[in-house]
Amino acid sequence: MPMPTSTDTFIDNLVSELEPVRPLSQAGGLSRAAMAILAATVIAAFGIGLRPDLLAGKLDPVFLLSSGLFLLLTCAASFSVIQMSRPQVGNHQTGWLWATAMAALLPASALLTALVSLAKGNTMVVGLSGWNCMAMGAALGLILAVMLTAWLRRGAPTSPQRAGLLIGIASGSAGIFAFSLHCTHNDIGHIGLWHGLAVAVNAGLGRLVIPSAIKW
Amino acid sequence: MIADEATLARLMAMAQSGDRQAYAALLEACQRWLRRYYARRIGPCQLDDLVQDTMLSLHHKRASYDPQRPFLPWLAAIARYRWVDHLRKVYKADETELDESFAGASDEPAISARISLERLLSLLPSAQVAAIEMVKIEGLSVSEAAKASGQSESLIKVNIHRGLKRLTAIIEKA
Repeated sequence: MPMPTSTDTFIDNLVSELEPVRPLSQAGGLSRAAMAILAATVIAAFGIGLRPDLLAGKLDPVFLLSSGLFLLLTCAASFSVIQMSRPQVGNHQTGWLWATAMAALLPASALLTALVSLAKGNTMVVGLSGWNCMAMGAALGLILAVMLTAWLRRGAPTSPQRAGLLIGIASGSAGIFAFSLHCTHNDIGHIGLWHGLAVAVNAGLGRLVIPSAIKW
Repeated sequence: MIADEATLARLMAMAQSGDRQAYAALLEACQRWLRRYYARRIGPCQLDDLVQDTMLSLHHKRASYDPQRPFLPWLAAIARYRWVDHLRKVYKADETELDESFAGASDEPAISARISLERLLSLLPSAQVAAIEMVKIEGLSVSEAAKASGQSESLIKVNIHRGLKRLTAIIEKA
């Protein structure tokens, strides 16, 4: 729309364009995010297949802990993104930071375990087959990334760079949470490295790619 | 007379429902509020453009306002975002004298102080504030700002870059 010089004319133009809008709601954003996470989970569980121990009703504690942390990180980051769609001076989003710190315990534990093992003279074996987990986790997370990006395009995020980073974190952790239902590894080295990398890769891509899509 | 917070919030909620009369009243009030909000933080020759730019954003992003929450902190977030974006654009103001007439007292000083641009700038180091004020608001050249502040030209540029980056990150921080 051309910018008129007269403020009155400008206001008249805006008023003439007015159409009813439905305010973005927290519940609306969260329900869409939940559907995206569910979609990724269903694809992983039924499209790729559940891990055998889950089908047998056995639950490994490391699997439970790591999956829970990634799901928690997904929820915290998604919540922050949805909050960012409705700007307000005085908003403080710090929950995702704590959740990220908690999830970072996984790669930190993997690194510490590897260092202790090396210090004892053992050779460190890093299974390169884990790249599949990383790629699949990152790919499954795209469902949530697309949904959150579309949501933010309707909103008014005042910090597009941070929003892009958060969408990346949310999508990566959602994707790897879903894929962990298929992945049979229970060792902290594999989970900390490859599953953590899925989050890191999506976070980096989100930070680089998404800001231009949501800038207003 | 600037409309109070409750009136603005009610008008915005009505505008979201498609009430054009309420929307016209809201935009008129917002236009006056924004002129005062940007007072002394933008060159007078840039003020009309920035106010209209912000109102255009208000129009396009009106769905992002939650009728359950206060209106002015939402408008201030939109205004701060547009202001920082405006400062990013390279321009050399024709006029450098700032119009003090807009800096009148607010009807709601507590809210205004909390969401003001001054409060946002107070979160930056003083050297970054000085560099942004001189070059981006008053329209001095980098070399003129360097002479006036005692900072080197490269430091002025670095302080502007870092200051604007920091401002973008803290727009919603009170």
